[in-house]
Amino acid sequence: MRHVRGFDVARPLSIGMLVFMMLPLVFLPLASIFIFGTSNGLGNFWAALTAPEAIFALKLSMATSFWATLFNVLFGLFAAYVLSRYNFLGRNALIVTISLPTAIPTAVAGFALLLLWGPYGTLGRFLRPQGIQIMFTAGAIILANIFVTFPLAFGVIKPVFDTMSRSLEEASATIGATRVQTFWHVTLPSLRGAIVSGALLTFARAVGEFGSTILVSGNLAGRTQTAPLYIFAKFNEGQIEAANAIAIVLALFSFLIFSVLFFARDWLDVD
Amino acid sequence: MAQVARMMKQSVTPDFKESVSQTAASVVGVSKFFGKTVVLENISFDVAEGEALVLLGASGSGKTTILRIIAGLEQPYTGKIMLHGKDVTELPARERGVGVIFQSYALFPKMTVEKNIGYGLRIRKRSRKQIKQTVNELLSLVQLEEHRKKYPSQLSGGQQQRVAIARTLAYKPEVLLFDEPFGALDAQTRVHLRREIRALLRKVNVPAIFITHDQEEALELGDRIAVIRLGHIDQIGTPSEVYNNPATEYVATFLGAANILEGTIHNGHVEVGSVQIPARIDVAKFSEGQSVKLIFRPEDVSVSKTQTLPSGHACLLSGIVEEISFVGAYERLRIRLDPGGSAACDAGDTPYYLTTETPESQTAKPIIATRPKPESMATKLRQGDRVFIGLTSFTILPSDSRASPGPDSSK
Ligand SMILES: Nc1ncnc2c1ncn2[C@@H]1O[C@H](COP(=O)(O)OP(=O)(O)O)[C@@H](O)[C@H]1O
Ligand SMILES: [Mg+2]
Repeated sequence: MRHVRGFDVARPLSIGMLVFMMLPLVFLPLASIFIFGTSNGLGNFWAALTAPEAIFALKLSMATSFWATLFNVLFGLFAAYVLSRYNFLGRNALIVTISLPTAIPTAVAGFALLLLWGPYGTLGRFLRPQGIQIMFTAGAIILANIFVTFPLAFGVIKPVFDTMSRSLEEASATIGATRVQTFWHVTLPSLRGAIVSGALLTFARAVGEFGSTILVSGNLAGRTQTAPLYIFAKFNEGQIEAANAIAIVLALFSFLIFSVLFFARDWLDVD
Repeated sequence: MAQVARMMKQSVTPDFKESVSQTAASVVGVSKFFGKTVVLENISFDVAEGEALVLLGASGSGKTTILRIIAGLEQPYTGKIMLHGKDVTELPARERGVGVIFQSYALFPKMTVEKNIGYGLRIRKRSRKQIKQTVNELLSLVQLEEHRKKYPSQLSGGQQQRVAIARTLAYKPEVLLFDEPFGALDAQTRVHLRREIRALLRKVNVPAIFITHDQEEALELGDRIAVIRLGHIDQIGTPSEVYNNPATEYVATFLGAANILEGTIHNGHVEVGSVQIPARIDVAKFSEGQSVKLIFRPEDVSVSKTQTLPSGHACLLSGIVEEISFVGAYERLRIRLDPGGSAACDAGDTPYYLTTETPESQTAKPIIATRPKPESMATKLRQGDRVFIGLTSFTILPSDSRASPGPDSSK
């Protein structure tokens, strides 16, 4: 009967419940960043944001995330190509291994890198006499980012490779194209959407990385302190406002990336 | 349009001597295994310049594999592929200059129609002007000018297929290979398109190999038909040869309906049960007492209520009409042969006669006859009528043959 009159009580009720549940879990925490961040006036907010150390932390985050993303997209592309085009012994083992880093706690990842590259690490101890120190540099942050975001781009690109008809590449070959030409003109355009979304995912994840970064970077303000580390440090020092300014930037940044992924889906997947 | 046609003609008859250029493509003794399964077994055939050859066979008979080997997408286990007199067996696909129209068309989804067509020239680094000119000519040849800026997903199946053809014509292919080109289309479009493609091929004069499992399509498309069974060519010949003189029972039954009666060779005659047919048998091909099959098509059966059949129609036997059905254009009769019946046709001047001594189960088998409308209107038949049966043509094959020594056929 309710349906006949076109009104279903369950509808507003369940929507209301959903929003109510999300309120303390997601909406309020996010809202408080913005409320507190600007509660002392926009002037103070701006000053906190443009403090040299804050600027440096943001720039370092962007730069290290950029290089990690570049590497992981290229690697993901290559790995997806090899693993979907060739069948060989241990193929599935490789696929599982590539995907493994997602399941490893980030602190463990950072710790593992330290054990390998640290001054007394498995490889690090041979590099130290040469004057090469990888840990506690920007390079270490990139390494940690790569490790932690390793499977993201691969995971997005591989399924597209798998579903891509083999006959497109064969057609290109019979028309006279070399493998490189085929990859460039035929394969790559079909992967455009997957590459862009894989890159955005990787970048977003790398910018926010904390657990592994804090172990391998040394957390030196103005030298190896990324934006999330800056938030943590300022909070510990009691400078809530400084921490809050950067938190707002990171939150907005992830909104932006997420919106692109969500609303440009049609464009990204265009066939 | 004429320009493209001229361009094609020049391209497919390059600098080879006349004698060589007669054969556009040859498959010589090709075998192929997948694992331990034999997929192709000693396949050989030629395609002449400008010819359309159809590979006809059931699904899984190895047709696509032959095509892929010619295109260089698959390596043969033995044998070689020749294109215009040149051995290309070792060449990779991209150096063969073969045009493949894939079953799914395999158009590049992110390229417009004109980009698809120009692809072969772009990767050959032709000048922009030249590419544009060729693309324009091909667009008008396949009548897609107004669709040039569209993407493949915006085109109908038939249009996509024309783009696929134009895309291969752009680089002047040695031979065109079509894998089940009409498989994905509805029945009406299919008939329409195959006529269109046939006309197009005549215009550009490029030799073509078609793959199909549809016998009607094969008969209409092919200058010649190769019937493939289990990776083996049973017969290759013109549509009328394979239809009228099938080399094997398989060919006879795969290309249309066929009546098959078993018999033996006796004194240079064929004995089917108690019926003796003094067919003009090549004695060298058959031995006394050999079991053979008498094969004839429903439309080769003539039926008469009287003992006299029209001249040239050899009287075989009499029978009882068991079932009459109308199949659109013609009438279909199921007739139970009646060897016990004393009535026989007038032998007349026909080379056939029959004896009615020992009736056997063989001749008691029903046969199928079809009659065109005018005939069925002129002589109305009803269930249970006794009719006299004649044959206008038939084929005699050894019973145990797979690769038979060749058809022996009388008219
Ligand atoms: N890549 C392959 N690996 C293993 N078997 C194959 C492969 N390609 C085809 N076959 C087998 O070879 C036989 C012939 O296949 P195909 O040439 O595609 O036949 P058709 O095109 O006549 O249907 C089939 O039995 C098929 O299963
Ligand atoms: Mg096939």
